Amino acid sequence: MKNSDSITYKPSPKAAWANGRKLLAVGIILIACVCGWFMMELEILGVRVLVPYFGSAVYVVTGSVIGVFLLSLSVGYMLGGWLSGKINAWSALGAAMMTTGAWLCAIPFFAEPVCDMIFNIGLDEKWGSLLASLVLFGAPTVLLGTVSPTVMHWLTTQASDSGFNAGLVLATSTIASFAGCVVTAFYLVLCSLRMTLCTSGVVLAVLGAMVLLSAAMQAKKNPRGDSNGKQQ
Amino acid sequence: MKNRMHKTILILMFCMAPFGIAMAASRQQQLGQVIHKKSSLYNSIFVYKDGSIVSLKFGKRATLNLQSQVDLNDPRRHMLEYTTMTFCGLFYKPQPQRMLVLGLGGGVIPREMHHHFPQLQIDVAEIDPDIPPVAARFLGFHEDEKLKVHVDDGRMFIKKQLRCNPVPKYDMIILDAFNGDYIPFHLMTKEFLQEVKGVLADDGVVIANVFYTNRLFDAEFKTFLSVFGRSQAFFGAVSGNAMLVSPGPACPILTEQEAVEHAQQLQQKHNLSFDLIEVAQMLRPDVHPDRRAKVLTDDVAPVNWLREQETKKFSSDIP
Repeated sequence: MKNSDSITYKPSPKAAWANGRKLLAVGIILIACVCGWFMMELEILGVRVLVPYFGSAVYVVTGSVIGVFLLSLSVGYMLGGWLSGKINAWSALGAAMMTTGAWLCAIPFFAEPVCDMIFNIGLDEKWGSLLASLVLFGAPTVLLGTVSPTVMHWLTTQASDSGFNAGLVLATSTIASFAGCVVTAFYLVLCSLRMTLCTSGVVLAVLGAMVLLSAAMQAKKNPRGDSNGKQQ
Repeated sequence: MKNRMHKTILILMFCMAPFGIAMAASRQQQLGQVIHKKSSLYNSIFVYKDGSIVSLKFGKRATLNLQSQVDLNDPRRHMLEYTTMTFCGLFYKPQPQRMLVLGLGGGVIPREMHHHFPQLQIDVAEIDPDIPPVAARFLGFHEDEKLKVHVDDGRMFIKKQLRCNPVPKYDMIILDAFNGDYIPFHLMTKEFLQEVKGVLADDGVVIANVFYTNRLFDAEFKTFLSVFGRSQAFFGAVSGNAMLVSPGPACPILTEQEAVEHAQQLQQKHNLSFDLIEVAQMLRPDVHPDRRAKVLTDDVAPVNWLREQETKKFSSDIP
C-alpha cells in the first residue's frame, strides 16, 4: 500500500487502490459510529448502575455521570490526538475497543463492591457518586474518546481535507450516539442491566479483535507500510 | 324552509360552542386559582386554591394525579382516599412508637398520624428541598421535635440509618415516594425492600401506596412477597389506590373480620376524624399477584413501562 504522492493524490491512476481505501474509509467511520453508540449507551446505563447505591438525587445524574463522561472524553480526545501520529491507527482502534468491551463486561461484577466501599468510607451522594462514576466509567470513556481523533487522522490524506473529515466523523458518530441514546432509554431499559452491559461488552470486544487481527495481517503483508496511507 | 332551519341550527351551534369550551375549561379549573408555582430540581410545583381547599400538583396537566389536598377550614378532613388508607398499618401495629414516611407531598399522612398519636416519633424523607417549605406555607404542615423532615433520597436515608449503631427500628414504614408521572425504580426493587426490612422492627409493618390498575401492581406485590414472605392488599373504593401491607416476622396477617374488629377498637380509642372501619373493609385477602409477574430487582425493573400496561378497572366502576 504505497502512496508516495498522497499530498497531491488523484483517484484516477490507481482506481483499485482508491476503491479499497474508500471501503476502508466507510469501515473506519462505522467504527467511530459503533464507539459513539456504546459511549452514550454506557452513559445512560451508568445512571442505572449508580442510582441504587447513591439515590436518584440530581447530583448523581447530572453532576457525576454526565460530568465524568465529559471529563473522560476530553482526556480521550487529547490522548487519541497525541497517539494518532505515533501508532498505527487500526491497531490503536482495535486495542481501544477490546479493552473497553472487556471493561463493560466487568462492570456488573465490580459495581457493587466499588460503590459499597465508597459509600462506607463516608462519601455522600455528591462526591461519592462522582468518585464511583470516575472509577467505573472513566477508563472506558477515555478509550472511546481516543477513537474520533484517530479516525480523523487516518481519513485525512491532505491538509485541506482535515476540516471536512473532522466534521464527517463528528456528525456520523454523534448520530450514532443519538441512536444509542434513544434505543437504550426507550427499549434496553426493559432488559437486564447486567445482560445489556455484558452483551455490549462482548460485541465491542469481538469487533475490536477483528480490527486488531486485520491490522496485524496488514502489517505482515506489508511490514514497512503505513496503514495510515501517509508518508511518515 | 328546510335550508333555513339548517342555517338556524348551525348558527345556534356556533353560539353554543364558546359555552362548551368554557365548560370544558371550568372542569380543568375546578381546583381553583394557581396561588404558587415553582420549578424545583425535581418537580413543577403547582399550588391551587378554591375557597378553603388547597391542592398540590406536580405539573399542570389535567390528567396528572393530585399529590395532596387540604381543607384549611377543617384540617382533620381527608380529601383524598389514600391518606386514610395508609392508616391500615394500625390494624397490624396498634401502638406504633416510631414511624418512617418516604415522600412528603403535602404532608397529610405524617401530620394526621402526629395529631392522633402525639407520642409517635416520625421521620419523613423527601428528596425535593422545595417541597417542605411549600407544605408548611400553604398546606398547614409543621415540623416539631416529634415530626422531622429529612431532605434526602428515600433509599439513601435508609442506607444511612443502617449505618447507625444501633440501627433504628421503625414500627411503621410508609412508602409513598410517587411523583405524578414518574416512578423511581430504585424505590421498588427487591434490594431496596431488603434494606427497608433492615430498619423494620420485628413486629413492625411496611405500607406501600401503589395503584392496582396496572401491571406494576402485580410486580410490586410479587417483590414484596419475595422479601417479606407475606403481604396483603387493601383496594381503594373510589380511587385506583391500593395499599400493599407487609408485616414483619413477629406480626400477624389478618382476616377481614379481624381487621374490622381492630378498626372498631382504634376508632373508639383515638376518636379518628374518618371512618377507619371503611378502610378495614377494603382488605382483599383473595387478591394475589398475577403468576406471570416478575420480581423487580436493581438489575431488571421496567417500572414505568409496567405502569403503562393497564389491567383492571377501579372497583367502583365494576357493576
